[in-house]
Amino acid sequence: MNGKSMHWVNRLAALGLVVGLVAGLASAGSAQSVGGQAYSTYVNTPLGSSGQSPLAVLPAISGTDGAEADATGSALNVAGTLSSDFLNSITSGEIGAAEAGAQSTSSAASVNILNGLITADEVVANVMSSAGQSGAVSNADGSTFTNLTVAGQSLSGDQAVAPNTNVSLPGVGYVVLNEQIPTGDGVTSSGLTVNMIHVFLQSLVGGILNPITGQILGGTLQTTGEVIVGSATSSVGP
Amino acid sequence: MMRERGTLIVWSSVIAAGLLAAACTDQPNVNMAPNRPSFWVTPPPAQCVTGKWTGGGRIDPPSNHDTQDETSGGQPPAYDPPPMLGKFTFGFNVFLGQDDQGNCVVTKGEIEVNGHALKLAWHVSIHNGVDAYDGRPVYANEFSDGHPGGVCLVVGVPDRPPPDGYMTARVNPGQGRETAQFEVCDNDRGGRQNTRSDAMRWRVAPLKPGETGPFGDTGLTYLTGGNIVEHGS
Repeated sequence: MNGKSMHWVNRLAALGLVVGLVAGLASAGSAQSVGGQAYSTYVNTPLGSSGQSPLAVLPAISGTDGAEADATGSALNVAGTLSSDFLNSITSGEIGAAEAGAQSTSSAASVNILNGLITADEVVANVMSSAGQSGAVSNADGSTFTNLTVAGQSLSGDQAVAPNTNVSLPGVGYVVLNEQIPTGDGVTSSGLTVNMIHVFLQSLVGGILNPITGQILGGTLQTTGEVIVGSATSSVGP
Repeated sequence: MMRERGTLIVWSSVIAAGLLAAACTDQPNVNMAPNRPSFWVTPPPAQCVTGKWTGGGRIDPPSNHDTQDETSGGQPPAYDPPPMLGKFTFGFNVFLGQDDQGNCVVTKGEIEVNGHALKLAWHVSIHNGVDAYDGRPVYANEFSDGHPGGVCLVVGVPDRPPPDGYMTARVNPGQGRETAQFEVCDNDRGGRQNTRSDAMRWRVAPLKPGETGPFGDTGLTYLTGGNIVEHGS
């Protein structure tokens, strides 16, 4: 290969690099998709079921459009499992030339789960996701419990709880408080789901009864139901 | 020698790529914050004719009261009317335009505000430039506040003396009607989004015949969570 052809190879490589870098920077500056959904309650247990309610889902957004969706419910009662009132879900999002964002919030008041095992005056789930020149971020700021009680342990006032706090519920299963499920790479995409109260009902399956002690030996705990109160999701992506 | 020349070309191309990317960015320099180098972080001034806004989150008045910016744009100091406090969650999406007289109006939009202490849910719906609950145009205003690059939007600017001005919101439970005004401020435009620098204010006018529900003013309040975004054109 002579010097002249090498020169053109270098120029071609440089041009490709320029095109690639510019395309990369441009795509990092503005997300092409946003998503969001929120619901106050979800019940799926042997005692009773209730779908995600009231459910607000951000409509598909194209171009540089935007939208808002909301849903409300006055009260919900699944006997022996969950009762709550003043249920609200909101989600909104928009794609702009330089920035895209989505945010969702859900709330439930007078929460009573499993006949008083878990109670709260109010639960608020709140998430936001944003993508722009400086990257993509999500957070759950503003997600709190008001006067929360879990298996006799109380938290007075309006307070946040550390993400993914796991509390055992003996004989019932366990609950994850402020359950946070992140998505995205933090550069061009980011998303977050927060479930403020996520109860997992569990049963022992496959054990052997010891006829002398009356205890069950072996077996595995299996999830037989779940209850979610206060769920919000937002996301931005390329 | 040839290899050195090739390396030189590649590196100069990388620098050129960076400069080209900077030149092509859609955030040109503006004069809203004249004393700081804002090339990368401050989008152009918001313009009603092309304005688009979205956002949502939560405020907890009287905590985090933004007294410094509250009267920007000629807005009244809180509380006007009397305070309406506690936890509020909200979400919105608003598109702005101009009417034949050059007034800033909302062409389409949805605003949902939940007052948790009152257990009330207000909703404003605007389609084709008309408030779905009273059939009238909804006037708006955009202006800068005290934050560098910050900009605010007021929806429901009185076109007549209050309480007849503002806009009409549905209030639930009960499918009632109230006159209301909504204000949001985006104080981190173009930069990394910081939930607690943006602000929101919700004012419900004194009752008039045919309206139901309580009234009050949250005052301009920094968000506890969420985000406000002015999207420009």
